Amino acid sequence: MNAGWASRRARVTVLVALLAAAIAVGAAGLFAGRMVAPHEVWAVVTGANDDPLAHHVVMRLRMPRTLVALTAGACLGTAGLLLQASLRNPLAGPEVTGVAPGAVLGAVAASGAGLASWSSPGSVAAAACAGGFLGAGLLWLLTGGRRTDPLMTAVYGVLVSALLSGLTAVVLVAAPGELGSVVQWLVGSTEGRVWEHWHMLGPWALAWGAAAFACAGALGVLRSGDEHAAAVGLAPARTRAYALVCAVALTAGAVAAVGALGFVGLLAPHVATALLGADLRAALPGAALVGAVIVGGSDSAAQALSPPLAELFGSDRFLLPTGAITTGVGALVLLAVARRYAPNEDQ
Amino acid sequence: MRRNHRSDNRGTDVGDTASAATAPAHTPALSFADTRFAYGERTIVDGVCFDVAPGELVALVGMNGCGKSTLLKLAAGLLRPASGNVWLQGKAITRLSRREAARRVALLHQSSPPVPGLTVRHLVRQGRYATRGPFGMLRDGDDEICLRAMADAGVTHWADHPVDALSGGERQRVRLALVLAQDTPVLLLDEPTTYLDLRHQLEVLELVATLRRDRKLTVVMVLHDLGHAARYAERIIALRAGRVVADGPPGDIVTPALLRDVFAVAGRVGLDPQRGWPICYPDSPLDDTPAQDATPATNTTDHRAQAPEPRP
Repeated sequence: MNAGWASRRARVTVLVALLAAAIAVGAAGLFAGRMVAPHEVWAVVTGANDDPLAHHVVMRLRMPRTLVALTAGACLGTAGLLLQASLRNPLAGPEVTGVAPGAVLGAVAASGAGLASWSSPGSVAAAACAGGFLGAGLLWLLTGGRRTDPLMTAVYGVLVSALLSGLTAVVLVAAPGELGSVVQWLVGSTEGRVWEHWHMLGPWALAWGAAAFACAGALGVLRSGDEHAAAVGLAPARTRAYALVCAVALTAGAVAAVGALGFVGLLAPHVATALLGADLRAALPGAALVGAVIVGGSDSAAQALSPPLAELFGSDRFLLPTGAITTGVGALVLLAVARRYAPNEDQ
Repeated sequence: MRRNHRSDNRGTDVGDTASAATAPAHTPALSFADTRFAYGERTIVDGVCFDVAPGELVALVGMNGCGKSTLLKLAAGLLRPASGNVWLQGKAITRLSRREAARRVALLHQSSPPVPGLTVRHLVRQGRYATRGPFGMLRDGDDEICLRAMADAGVTHWADHPVDALSGGERQRVRLALVLAQDTPVLLLDEPTTYLDLRHQLEVLELVATLRRDRKLTVVMVLHDLGHAARYAERIIALRAGRVVADGPPGDIVTPALLRDVFAVAGRVGLDPQRGWPICYPDSPLDDTPAQDATPATNTTDHRAQAPEPRP
């Protein structure tokens, strides 16, 4: 029992460190930018500064944007681990199982049809949810009887994702009037997110995150194999369906708020399990925090890098999208993860 | 369970007697009632009927693909019989929920590779799922049944090691601990000695025999080694092409005819000079034509006389 207790303490320490990191990148998001100087930001947050402009920038622009970025990252990280565990596939993630591309298609199609717009995040979320389920459902139908084969799931997932991205492109071409706002969903951007987005995403993430954590124990059993799970008394199909619904809902919420941020859902689970081990009760919150750190950090970096880049390119309206950073950094880290896993494949 | 009586129209008289609450003393721990199972066109289990009494230790033997493992999965409720039924302590398994079934019967099976990094402690704890439920699994801590299961299987000192870092033999013992953690009256073991060297094979079989005696467990195990079956089981059931072809105590069942009809092997059978259990001397493989109408060796006791008795 002593060793188990010690490892539990180690896991709690890692989780607290991750939480501190998430708060730190959130703070960086509040302080980064050229309009308000850091000491003024602190004054606004503590209530010592009454300057209306500074107050507007910090409390109306930076605060919701940062919160949305952190929460969306948490959603994607949790969704990624739910997918990887329930499909027993280390290559699963919202981006490559058709869930995120489906959610993007839903959001884009609803916007193109005039059913939803940037100013009504609720309807965008509903459309993204429908699209996410479409993507997951398509994968479910295609894999058929070979659902437990990780390789087939990965191959069909890439196919479904490509198909849905193609459909999104078709919608964009067919409804070019909406192009400007809609294109943000494709890359993923935290630019211009306001309290309205937070009011949609915050409760949504909290509810579905709690629902996801409730199945952490059962999902841990399922992860060891369908036959094993059934033998110890778990209904594999029901648990998997429950985890997938949570994953789709969390992804759809994130996509509706910030668009398809690449690689977060694929990457965060690997970092979390490397730090916290295979126990999903620690790894699920861990993946959420890692996702928050990745997206929150990318958001801060985007804010900090945009002005110098705009100067470099000589365009004062240049804004580096957060999704470009997560995809770029994510691809690099994924390479490292692939190298870490590679020797095990040979055995 | 309310619908038990009405819905049992497919059960044979074995099942009907078993479900009657009036005769609990005679209720078999496990019983197959004309059970059939097929993967598509391929029939795997073809009308199997037998009862296992509480506390019995039964070995299932037969060639690869004869339906032994499928029979265990049917008994654990992991597969649904195409017709007939399986009864667990008088309850039709198709009427039990997954968790109810897993509280009555535990199956050690040839499982998928372990999750990277999952510790022995966590895997064994998963055996408590049927009792603890999905939310109980969120609580930390082992109950005493987990600790006892790990101690019984001899894996306590690896408790915090990842399962994927253990050798094949060690993993097999972890799986045994997992099955013991389910704390069920019936144990189904699918080749519990796979991956083990001779010493560990004996260790596992001795452990199973001891636990069964001390805790009054009912054990049905698939064994590839007819010698182990003859030594540890009090009853051997031999399968061929999904049918029971011999059923009885090792002394009656293990004969040259059994080797021929069940394993397609020409051989002789002798007796252990000191302990008296049958010992097989397999000589050569026979031409194995899967003739459906081959006469099964149902009455094999006479063949013993023809067997050359090796002298020590």
